[in-house]
Amino acid sequence: MVEPTGVLRDPANLVSTRAPYLWRLGALTRSLVLGAGAGLAELLWDVDVPLWLWAGYAAAALGYVTVMPQFRYRVHRWETTGTAVYTQSGWLTRERRIAPMSRVQTVDFEQSAVARAFGLASVTVTTASAAGPLRIDDLDVAVAQQLVDELTRRAEAEHGDAT
Amino acid sequence: MTELEHDQEWRRLDLRMLLVHPVNEVVRFLPFLIGLFVLGSGGQDGGPWHYLGVAVPVAIGVVRFASTRFRITGAQIELRRGVLGREIRTARLDRVRTVELTASPIHRVLRLEKVKIGTGSTEDGTLELDSLGTVEAARLRRELLDRAGAVHPAEGGSADAEVLVRFDPGWARFAPLTTSGLVVAVAALGAATGPFLGSNLELRLADASVVEQVRNVALPAVVVLGGITLLLIASTLGIVGYLLANWNFTLTRDVAQRTFHVHRGALTTRSTSIDLDRLRGVEIHEPLGLRVAGGGRLTAIATGFARRSDENTAPLVPAAPLAVVRAVAGAVIGEEPGSPGTFHQHGPQARRRRYLRAVLPALLAPVALGLAAAAGDWPWTLAGAAVLVPVAAAALARDRYARLGHALTSSHVLVRWGSLRGRTDVLQRSGIIGWNLRQTYFQRRAGLVSLTATTAAGQQAYEILDVREDVAVGFAAAAVPGLVEQFVR
Repeated sequence: MVEPTGVLRDPANLVSTRAPYLWRLGALTRSLVLGAGAGLAELLWDVDVPLWLWAGYAAAALGYVTVMPQFRYRVHRWETTGTAVYTQSGWLTRERRIAPMSRVQTVDFEQSAVARAFGLASVTVTTASAAGPLRIDDLDVAVAQQLVDELTRRAEAEHGDAT
Repeated sequence: MTELEHDQEWRRLDLRMLLVHPVNEVVRFLPFLIGLFVLGSGGQDGGPWHYLGVAVPVAIGVVRFASTRFRITGAQIELRRGVLGREIRTARLDRVRTVELTASPIHRVLRLEKVKIGTGSTEDGTLELDSLGTVEAARLRRELLDRAGAVHPAEGGSADAEVLVRFDPGWARFAPLTTSGLVVAVAALGAATGPFLGSNLELRLADASVVEQVRNVALPAVVVLGGITLLLIASTLGIVGYLLANWNFTLTRDVAQRTFHVHRGALTTRSTSIDLDRLRGVEIHEPLGLRVAGGGRLTAIATGFARRSDENTAPLVPAAPLAVVRAVAGAVIGEEPGSPGTFHQHGPQARRRRYLRAVLPALLAPVALGLAAAAGDWPWTLAGAAVLVPVAAAALARDRYARLGHALTSSHVLVRWGSLRGRTDVLQRSGIIGWNLRQTYFQRRAGLVSLTATTAAGQQAYEILDVREDVAVGFAAAAVPGLVEQFVR
């Protein structure tokens, strides 16, 4: 029998403090687009969406836009050690991923146009498994670049084809 | 000429491959040709098109033969083809995971084999050579696998091959119980009845008094008889399909080359080789139907097969008695694949989740039908019958929980799960390349987590469903020491 050793702690590092603003902007855009789509449909096809439904949607969207980024900011965390990468993501459903440094295959640096405006970038670490990419969203650009360099160097130091 | 010189020469496909496609076309037009001779009239629709139907494949074949070359240089296999657009594909020999030889009946008459080389690097990482002579194909396979093994002495020969399992035609009794058997049967039925649907014949039948007579016979009798007939046809087709695919099934282990060879097929023969170094474990498939009859199937978890596609995973034993399956599994992985006693159950919270998730949605059926009956326009008997749905769901939940278990051996991780598609996954601990721990809101409240071991082989991810959080962490730490411990609170 395997002895229970305790549960995992959260990864040590938070993402950039500016990340919630980016997420909030995204949430706001999504909410507005959906609302505008419904409004347009109301005009075009003469559907009568009752006022209470609009009010309900507005309340839900407002809640999503205000609460979600804060919530996510506390959940989205990451950590690297000499031997492993550890990430945590999600907000209602939480997912933690751990990959040993010796199995890291690629380290990707990504930056969308909007993220660039915020000075943010994402890092994705892949292994040989299709099920295991570790994604760290919206770090400070400097932190992300440093992380990519560091991970690439460490992964190179390991041998074998990582399968 | 030395071996090396021979290797570096460009080689071509076998000239006999030119015959394969025309013969295929002739077979396709066989009904037409027979009609031509028997009826003496070819019909009015233009003959030239049919000659074209033979000429085009011949032309394509000639071009393909002339333009395809391959060679093995020091460390890689190189394949070039194309006349105008040139395509050159190379694969490193130490990345060659699998070599499959396939021969359709036409290939077999011509003594040819199609060679498929799996490199497992990308989704389309397969090099295909259609076709080589049987001797040449076998030689190429030996070369590739020797190089892939690298450290092993070459030319071990097949003398010290050890047969792990040999086909027993009696196993065909399991065929109707497998989903693949069912799929084959349904597909065959569809193909057979498709042309008749909507044709004059069907319309005439619909008009006939037969329908009237049928109506007079008690409806249940018709349904039962129809069901039995369908079942019989489906079973027969399933068995035929099983025999065609698995006739002569043999699994051998080539000790010197450290390779498993699977050979099977009645008409189209197929032989697959899996390098032992690429093997990461086995999956014992125990779907409900097979399990009830005491059967199972075995497939390999190996790198180099196309990702997440079932037809490309290597079968090690087709539907067969569970004892055979387990014995072969044990021989392949080198240890006992877990007796029922070795599995740890997941506890009351996991049991509760199985029942809730199965029964709650199933309750919808009787409730909805009950409401409809109360409203007055649906019969109460229907709502009464629908009560069986949640009862069946509860039985399913019970089975799902009873099977849910995990275990750890000296070199493998064992995961047993599922009911209708039940499986026992046996994964090498050294093949695990990461852990995912996933918790939904409800799982968090119940203190459970789904622990997924990721790997480069097979399904890429093997999940241990709804296990207590501390147990999951302890399991991950014990299976792959030195990884998760550093993150424990």
